[in-house]
Amino acid sequence: MVYKKILVTSTGEYLDQIAKETMEIIADWDTDVIGVYVVETSTPFLTPKKVKEMMVTELTQRGKQVLDAMEEKFRAPNIHFSRILKEGDPADEIVKIAEKNDVDLLVMGTGKSIVDKHLLGSVSEKVVHSAPCTILLIRTVSE
Amino acid sequence: MFMLWIIALVTILIVSLIIVIKAADIFVDKIVEIGGIIGISEIILGVTASAIGTSLPEFGSAVMAALFNSPDLGVGVVIGSNIWNIAGILGISAIFAGTIRSSPKGITRDGAFTLLTAFILLGFMYFRGVVDIYASIIFVIVYSIYLWILIRDQKKEVEKNKADKQEKIVTPKGGDAIADHPPEEKKKIGFGMIAWSLVGLAGLIVGCRLLVYSGTELAIIANIPQMIMGLFTLAIGTSIPELVVTFNSARKGLHDLSIGTILGSNTFNIMIGLGIPAIFMSVPIEHLSYTFDAPVMIFVTVLVLLLIKRGMKLTRVDGFILALTYITYAVLRIYVLG
Repeated sequence: MVYKKILVTSTGEYLDQIAKETMEIIADWDTDVIGVYVVETSTPFLTPKKVKEMMVTELTQRGKQVLDAMEEKFRAPNIHFSRILKEGDPADEIVKIAEKNDVDLLVMGTGKSIVDKHLLGSVSEKVVHSAPCTILLIRTVSE
Repeated sequence: MFMLWIIALVTILIVSLIIVIKAADIFVDKIVEIGGIIGISEIILGVTASAIGTSLPEFGSAVMAALFNSPDLGVGVVIGSNIWNIAGILGISAIFAGTIRSSPKGITRDGAFTLLTAFILLGFMYFRGVVDIYASIIFVIVYSIYLWILIRDQKKEVEKNKADKQEKIVTPKGGDAIADHPPEEKKKIGFGMIAWSLVGLAGLIVGCRLLVYSGTELAIIANIPQMIMGLFTLAIGTSIPELVVTFNSARKGLHDLSIGTILGSNTFNIMIGLGIPAIFMSVPIEHLSYTFDAPVMIFVTVLVLLLIKRGMKLTRVDGFILALTYITYAVLRIYVLG
């Protein structure tokens, strides 16, 4: 199966592993890779406004760094890399971007422990239920 | 009738807490906006807003407690908040988030100041038995030095980021990309801005007064010392902003903000939260405050710094250690020492 347009998303963790597996799929085929980073903007009630703004600024800055690193990983003659930095709910935004850009494959990391999944929730689980394309979930937890 | 009065007081306590927290938020937000328009550097505004933003409720309660003759309540709020911030909030956040990382600078700079301020407070408590105008002067000087260091570090950070900044935005075929923010129009100080900052200030004053009033009345009805009311109920209540910020930033991986909020808040609580009320009146210190509460505050500060120092992070196990420490302290303080 040849994928012409691949969406890769990461929070920065395990980016090496995610990029390596994606590159193996791409091999020598001409491919569009869209790097996506979603800045999660939701905060609980009573979060000070200035702190909320500070969080968004820091996460945006981190997002740019992650996308820079991603661009570096996907630097190859057969790959056209583009980037999207969005604000919102990560799962919702990833699905929307995949739909809007008509991607063939969505690549993301997964592998939180059961405890973490219950305490923090899982973006990949939410995406799996509504993704408009094939998904490659890369297990990122070290054994 | 008596039961209704208790329900009313608890309701006033909860409502006033929400008023205090929201009012402090509005006040800081508008003051920063006005400060920006009159030309105060964004760095200075950013650093002070984040340092003060979450701690205004503790500060307001301590001032009100001092002004309305409940100094024990004020001391309790400050020391209780500091213990809760570290052992309770960092403990809970580490348990839920799994890991909270820290940078060496955050620990050496903010950790050292938190510890230093706790020792200065203990020194005044132990040798003078009172937090008075002399303590105020030292507290305010030390806090000014801390703010100056924060602003200096932030300036360096901003300059470093400017040098590194090379944004490249490529729009994917058929997709969309985030654009650079357009330059903001130069704003003027409007009536609304001033009105909202006054509303925030008024809300803070009224809310803190109601908070202290309901806390004091409930302490009398329940026949518990005001100190206990301050150490636990008001301390935990006024620390809600720290809880939401620390937990949320830990969950989002903004680790420096998470630990920095707690350490910065603890420094502010002592230096300003106790320092400013002591300008109006000498705050007498209860025996148990300097023989038990303040040493516990220093103990949990040292404990968290040691736990972080091991691997520059707090783990879930560390979170449990901190939370258990808080529970032990609360049980001992309420049921054994009274």
